[in-house]
Amino acid sequence: MGDVRLMKGNEVIAEAAIRCGCDGYFGYPITPQSEIMETLMIRRPENETGMVVLQAESEVAAINMVYGGASCGKKVMTSSSSPGISLKAEGITYLAGAELPALIVNIVRGGPGLGTIQPAQSDYFQAVKGGGHGDYKLIVLAPASVQEMNDFVDLGFELSFKYLNPAMILSDGVIGQMMEKVELSDYKPRWTDEEIEKISGSWATNGKKAGSERNISTSLDLDSAKQEVFNHKLQAKYRAMEENDVRFEKIACDDADYLFVAYGSSARICQKSVELAREKGIKVGLLRPITLFPYPTKQIQEMLGQVKGILSVEMSAGQMVEDVRLAVEGKVPVEHFGRYGGIIPTPEEVVEALEEKILGK
Amino acid sequence: MAKFKGAIVVDTEKCKGCGLCVVSCPTAVIELARGVNGKGYHYAHMANPDACIGCSSCGLVCPDTVITVYRAKAS
Repeated sequence: MGDVRLMKGNEVIAEAAIRCGCDGYFGYPITPQSEIMETLMIRRPENETGMVVLQAESEVAAINMVYGGASCGKKVMTSSSSPGISLKAEGITYLAGAELPALIVNIVRGGPGLGTIQPAQSDYFQAVKGGGHGDYKLIVLAPASVQEMNDFVDLGFELSFKYLNPAMILSDGVIGQMMEKVELSDYKPRWTDEEIEKISGSWATNGKKAGSERNISTSLDLDSAKQEVFNHKLQAKYRAMEENDVRFEKIACDDADYLFVAYGSSARICQKSVELAREKGIKVGLLRPITLFPYPTKQIQEMLGQVKGILSVEMSAGQMVEDVRLAVEGKVPVEHFGRYGGIIPTPEEVVEALEEKILGK
Repeated sequence: MAKFKGAIVVDTEKCKGCGLCVVSCPTAVIELARGVNGKGYHYAHMANPDACIGCSSCGLVCPDTVITVYRAKAS
């Protein structure tokens, strides 16, 4: 049994970063995620592992520092919350366009605009469909517990380096702020220069070797013919992610007549709603996407012969429901239930919504 | 005229390493440290403490008021 602690979600992201051998964190404060950087500042990992912690002058500066670190083959990350992620959008597409691995953490707050500091899940479109420009995708992991906040930092880096594509942890103010029992990962040492050369030497700008071409890190190619071929390459990557790295969890689905589809804290609420509904005799199950991209489209489609209706629950005006509808292709009714502006629904409200919108009571 | 002896205390965690105090010091007391604080900034510190006359130019110019200046009459 590893290091077991009672910790806050945000603090765990910081601790997990240090333990997975992260080389650098470049961030900027914004509620509700400032504890990530504050924890790193208190831990002083530069004295322990040599990890750099730097508060940049803005979120834009931070994402560009991530670009710099990533292009040298380093494990680098940043974190922010909704408005700050919007600021990073350009940098994020540059990472995708230059095929660089990096981890971006979004602890979502209510919007739009400066919004509020309370939790929301209204950044689904931004994360999954692209907050920045161009045909790119992020690998998006949605934790629903403090334990997953720990596990997904290393997983995020692993997937990011596997596909040479930036990855995002899409969390929210509930999970970022709540305290739960967590088993922290064991320490992994930071990669040595030799290991970086072995893993990323073919593309990283980590020093030109005699007899080899220099590596250039860029997302620019003015030759349209080449740019089209490159975009095909990226698309092939995204198909490979869809083929190999979908992650999800199913709860009480075996005998379900109805289905909740929810991620993050909405999924935690729906777990209770499943209990409450079943007490009333409604056999509902929960499909929890863990990767929002690649999305568990197949897993939803597999349930279509069984369920009579699907309720997508998300603290938004209805974002993930569009992907549910795409998967379902009109075969069963799909509705959305959400609260906005930072309000968190109760499990009872979710059951009522199921009864009204899907059961038609 | 009396001689003064001074000393400064820098809140190293709040200092952002802007260097204005380094420039304003008339007796070249202050330098930015090799080490960094929690935010990754090189904070200001007294490299030549004996030269400090407690003029408080550094305290006046600091945009984040992280410097406290002490001054005593040298006897």
